[in-house]
Amino acid sequence: MFSWLEKNPFFFAVGVFVVIAFAGLIEIVPDFAQQSRPVVGAKPYSLLELAGRQVYIKDSCNACHSQLIRPFKSETDRYGMYSLNGEYAYDRPFLWGSKRTGPDLHRVGNYRTSDWHANHMWEPTSVVPGSIMPAYKHMFKNVADLETAYAEALTVKKVFNVPYDKDLNGDGKVDVPLGSFEQAKQRALQYALKVAEETKRQDLVDMVKQGKVPEIVALIAYLNRLK
Amino acid sequence: MDIRLIQGVAYLGLIIFLTFILYGYIIHLYRSEKKGKRNYEKYGKMALDDELTSPPVEPLEEHTKESR
Amino acid sequence: MQNPAIEYDYTVAKWFSYLAILFGIIGMGIGVWIAFELAFPELNYVAGQYSLFSRLRPIHTNTVAFGFTLSGIFATWYYVGQRVLKVSMAESKFLMAVGKLHFWLYFIGALLAVGSLLLRYTTSKEYAQFEWPFDIVVVLIWVLWGISIFGLIGIRREKTLYISLWYYIATFLGVAMLYLFNNMEVPTYLITGMGDPFHSVSMYAGTNDAMVQWWYGHNAVAFVFTVPIIAMIYYYLPKESGQPVYSYKLSLLSFWGLMFVYLWAGGHHLIYSTVPDWMQTMGSVFSVILILPSWGSALNMLLTMKGEWGQLKENPLIKFMVLASTFYMLSTLEGPIQSIKSVNALAHFTDWIPGHVHDGTLGWVGFMIIAAIMHMAPRFYKREIYSKKLLEMQFWLQTTGIVLYFSSMWIAGITQGMMWRAVDQYGNLAYSFIDTVTVLHPYYTLRGIGGLFYFIGLFMWAYNFYKTMTASKAIEKEPQFASPMAA
Repeated sequence: MFSWLEKNPFFFAVGVFVVIAFAGLIEIVPDFAQQSRPVVGAKPYSLLELAGRQVYIKDSCNACHSQLIRPFKSETDRYGMYSLNGEYAYDRPFLWGSKRTGPDLHRVGNYRTSDWHANHMWEPTSVVPGSIMPAYKHMFKNVADLETAYAEALTVKKVFNVPYDKDLNGDGKVDVPLGSFEQAKQRALQYALKVAEETKRQDLVDMVKQGKVPEIVALIAYLNRLK
Repeated sequence: MDIRLIQGVAYLGLIIFLTFILYGYIIHLYRSEKKGKRNYEKYGKMALDDELTSPPVEPLEEHTKESR
Repeated sequence: MQNPAIEYDYTVAKWFSYLAILFGIIGMGIGVWIAFELAFPELNYVAGQYSLFSRLRPIHTNTVAFGFTLSGIFATWYYVGQRVLKVSMAESKFLMAVGKLHFWLYFIGALLAVGSLLLRYTTSKEYAQFEWPFDIVVVLIWVLWGISIFGLIGIRREKTLYISLWYYIATFLGVAMLYLFNNMEVPTYLITGMGDPFHSVSMYAGTNDAMVQWWYGHNAVAFVFTVPIIAMIYYYLPKESGQPVYSYKLSLLSFWGLMFVYLWAGGHHLIYSTVPDWMQTMGSVFSVILILPSWGSALNMLLTMKGEWGQLKENPLIKFMVLASTFYMLSTLEGPIQSIKSVNALAHFTDWIPGHVHDGTLGWVGFMIIAAIMHMAPRFYKREIYSKKLLEMQFWLQTTGIVLYFSSMWIAGITQGMMWRAVDQYGNLAYSFIDTVTVLHPYYTLRGIGGLFYFIGLFMWAYNFYKTMTASKAIEKEPQFASPMAA
């Protein structure tokens, strides 16, 4: 049997494939359904938060920041409650990262404010002396792409049944409304105005009033939501 | 039945099965050499003597005919 | 006997060799740059937002893994494949055309994909950052390579496939499977007709996405940085030294061992995360078992040199390859150590991890590709290698660079890991996060210098290759074993 395999390239290839494929079959497939269940109270991202998440991805914040608090006292003391599986149910893709050049961000919304973030992203050393993080000034000028964020929200709603426009906790109210693009955009602008005012930067407030959401405002809305 | 149980049984079965295959393979390698059916070490020459004009270690039938 | 007019055709192998040198210099140049950015943050701003660390880091990893390494793999395939099958690409117009198309599609695809990263198109999944249109190009490139492999095997004269070919075939299959499953994504424009046409959203969410990603991410290391490099060393070391593989049977056994074990080890990237415990344990255990087949191959290589260690002194190419297998042993021991749960608790998220990766990539992958291309150069151009002395200097400079790199990252990683968990007498955390960053400055600087040494070595390599191609002394016929070199 073996010598036959060694001389038949086709069946050899099939053999190799079987050997390498079954680890995935046993390890990954059986847990799929179980892993995707959200924890109680988990909500999908609103349009502005999702736009901010896209900014986070575009500038590869995950190259230096993790979003995974491990169950050790030294980590829970520093960052808060350790991360739970169901908290990530609406994260597509996951953003755990693999390197902490900077601190973990999974619960950064608990202990940082909008104006802290704005100052920090404009000039990191102004709030954290000695920081090696670069400034992200282009985020203050670039306009967040709400349309692509809406396209993503609508896609996950349609394809993966992410519960937008649904009553999740049974109180008779829709928890995370999406609606049409115009409705969603208006809601995002209102939310953005609140965040922009919290940053205490007039240029950001002015931009939002003109109907343009700066990327930094969307990003801060996303970071504030990480709790 | 519980998926965990199926997974566990399947996993154990596979490990035993593959251990058999692995040992079978080792025995196969040495036995076929001992019986003189094959000499695996001669395949090492394929890297050393690899000119287009040098004779293959184990020629494919049809090619041998046409090239001779 | 045979028609003497037919010779091996190295056209495509040459082209891919040029690309390996080009992408090596670009990718590692960016690597050196971002290493220094961590030590001296002002460097982030030299080209506005395009030189920010976070923008360049994925470009570094992708250019080195999928630019430099893959070019090296393809170059050696188009060389080794013909030779061990004893069939020339010139014998088939079709395969020749496929090879050339493979090259051009790869070259153009690589440029576009890197450009897309520079313009912020990324899916954020490590080593799978390319957005969906580029994924499709990658699949096409891969299919072309598959046609080339199986096409050449189809017209072979040698009935049995040499062990290197097993590894090339495994590379082809492994990457195909992993890449497809990890890059399953839904283009949002196609569903909604709105927004950016390049944008897509992952098919998997949260923990599932993490599992698939690291099953991919770890095994991308397996099937790009390990398996095809073993394919190379099983050909080039015996050929350059004139010694057959120490034990061919051991090479077969290690092959199956590696194929079976490697795929399970991905879980070690997720220890203490939210994936199920049994999977973390499995990742840990299999990582330790992985030492066996890895060392099987590495020892087999070292023992091939048995009784011929004098060559190590004489021949710089043998030096490169022997050190490559030594670094392979080092990183396949270090990896399992880092996978042990208690060690992982300390090492995960620190600089020890990039340190470990670079033992393998600089020492093992880089050295092997450098040696392979220098071995091919005299055969490509029928000239001797331009300068043995330069090759020796390159070897020592780059080796020093690697040692600086991993030693500084060991210290940095363990220091930072210990500081994160240090507590004072009352049980409060002893250091704020920024303390654990500023303390790393000297190690980041040292690492940058180590990288710079290696980078300078690349230019010596490129110069030596170029001179071999254009100005070196001609030789009459292909050398059989050791590559001829001018002093």
